[in-house]
Amino acid sequence: MNKKIFSVIALMVIVVLLISACGSGGQNSNSSQTQNAQSTSQTKDDMSRFDEEIAKGPNGETPTRSSEINLTEEDYAKLREGKHKAALIWAGSGEWYNALTEGAKEEFEKMGVKIVAVSDAQFDPAKQATDIETALALNPDIILSLPVDPVSGTRAYQPAVDKGVTIVFADNGVNNYRAGKEYVSIVTGDHFGMGRAAAELMNEAIGGKGEIAFIYHDADYFVTNNRDGAFKRAIQKKYPDIKIVAEAGFTQENATGEVASTILTQHPEIKGIYVAWDVAAEPVVAELRAAGRNDVKVVTHDLGANNDLDMARGGNVCGKVADMPVEIGRTMAKLAGYKLLGKEAPPFVVCSLIKVTRDNLEEAWKKSLNKELPEDILKALGKK
Amino acid sequence: MDNFISKKIKGFNYKNYIVYISFGLVLLFFSITLFNKGFLSPENLMNILRQTAMISVMAVGMTFTISAAEIDLSIGSIVALSALVAALVLRSAGIILAVLAGLSVGAVTGLLNGIIVSKVRIPSFLVTLGTSSIISGLARKITNLEAVPIIDKRFNFIFGSGDIGPISTLFLWTLVIMIVGDLVYRKTPFGRAVLATGGNKSAARFSGIRTDAVKVAVMTISAVCAAFAGILYAGRLHGARYTLGEADVMTVIAAVVIGGTSFTGGRGTVVGSIIGSIIMGMLNNGLLLMGLSVSDQMIARGIIIILAVSLSLREAKND
Repeated sequence: MNKKIFSVIALMVIVVLLISACGSGGQNSNSSQTQNAQSTSQTKDDMSRFDEEIAKGPNGETPTRSSEINLTEEDYAKLREGKHKAALIWAGSGEWYNALTEGAKEEFEKMGVKIVAVSDAQFDPAKQATDIETALALNPDIILSLPVDPVSGTRAYQPAVDKGVTIVFADNGVNNYRAGKEYVSIVTGDHFGMGRAAAELMNEAIGGKGEIAFIYHDADYFVTNNRDGAFKRAIQKKYPDIKIVAEAGFTQENATGEVASTILTQHPEIKGIYVAWDVAAEPVVAELRAAGRNDVKVVTHDLGANNDLDMARGGNVCGKVADMPVEIGRTMAKLAGYKLLGKEAPPFVVCSLIKVTRDNLEEAWKKSLNKELPEDILKALGKK
Repeated sequence: MDNFISKKIKGFNYKNYIVYISFGLVLLFFSITLFNKGFLSPENLMNILRQTAMISVMAVGMTFTISAAEIDLSIGSIVALSALVAALVLRSAGIILAVLAGLSVGAVTGLLNGIIVSKVRIPSFLVTLGTSSIISGLARKITNLEAVPIIDKRFNFIFGSGDIGPISTLFLWTLVIMIVGDLVYRKTPFGRAVLATGGNKSAARFSGIRTDAVKVAVMTISAVCAAFAGILYAGRLHGARYTLGEADVMTVIAAVVIGGTSFTGGRGTVVGSIIGSIIMGMLNNGLLLMGLSVSDQMIARGIIIILAVSLSLREAKND
């Protein structure tokens, strides 16, 4: 027994020593992620250029604003004659995806396009490949899709490409696919703009100076990497009095509570925390409440009822940046229309964003999700 | 006197204390490596106890299930549905009704699991895999994937966000569930029937134990514990969402097995499962405080879990 215990202790010590040796680079892993985003963006030192910089497409495509994508009444009439069918192949589910579907639906109704399938891959590339095959059995003319994985996507979308289906992507592209060939275009939010806007909100929330923590998505994912990277660069470039003293990544959104509590243990002096997105910020807010730290401000991305209620009540969450999933859905549908009409479509289209604080919560829900603010939140705002 | 002590030492059966040895080792290791990084601060230790409360509550229920040589994979989905139902009922009714509604999600699912397992004779692994999918689907459907915030301050205080002195209510709930669970497990005929059913079903049946009823009961206990964990999640987060509990099943099973409950049934302890759950919490906390990246944390956690489980299982085999 003694031998066993001893060998287990020895093993544990060796394992953790080994891992801490290779893990010393752990907290820096974000810097390589930031560098990636930096190289894609070819950041200019010039501040005004930095402010206007929009992320390029995954293949370096130049972005076009979604306001430039429009169909005329004649276009709609022509499209209605085609009696087309569409499948929506999403990566996940939730309020954001509901809004995406709603935007596409709204536009497809005008085009007389029937939606024959809506699927949620639950972020599993294999399930998405199956979803595509299943949807193809319904012979759609159009597929609107948010690819889970650009690498395996090359194979997964091939059956649809072979059948000549009109494909429009959201957020991610697929490796080795070219706009105008295998797919029409990629539509996405203004991720750099979102990161910068989050930095502005953080600056306002903590009064322009102090120490903050940065909780980022520790995965190779185009959207979150761009947003997180842009936030960090904006803080470093534009707000020299704000210092990021703690950086930690997460992959599971329910694991951020533990991350936040360890940050509070080691850096009790922080005034703000940036979290990569709304659902991941919920456990962070719970930890701040548990620690009685009403003074620590949270800035994050995307709308969501739980944190928005906290914001309405003047809690920890004080600012959010939301993209426009409804607008992304609409634009994707319009671009599919472009292809069917034989119009030339831009390869990479970027939708607008909205900076959200307690004051414009109601408007933000309408604009971003096309929904009324939930009753509890209206009450907390004193509007009901 | 010397004789007495040496007798005591000889009589000391370390095999019963493997989980405490693992606990001590992990605690010692992090105390040394993180001595200046706040690991041992009272706030951090309370953080660990608070953050593991939901896993601990589920581990108590799972101890009964695994001891009876069954498994319950539906607990993660029950967490989400129970939290959502409680949050929705709370909008129009009081705390008691909301909690009862949440718990009844567990009771109904657990009964269903148990009846299918014992009457239709399908392995619990498959039954709960199926019900897990049904319950997840319901949780997604009832709110159309939207979050349900909770504004009732008393609910939030009692079930997760409150502190009584320096002690979190989450920890107090863990203690209550642990004490009740431990008493039922060790001191009642039912507890002995669970162990007998798990140890040798035929022998248990011949000795007059209604093994089918025991199975229904253990499946219900584990599901109700999961439903209660869902209520605690809702109180802690001031709201519910269909994603709650998604990643918890494996953590709960690991906690129970590290805690010394035999995977093949017939042997286990409730307190050990709670200690197992706290070991899992300490690992998460300590590896984060060390500043490891997520990938490194995953590798380290996996290796340490295998070591801890192999220690407790090897000792069990030697019994």
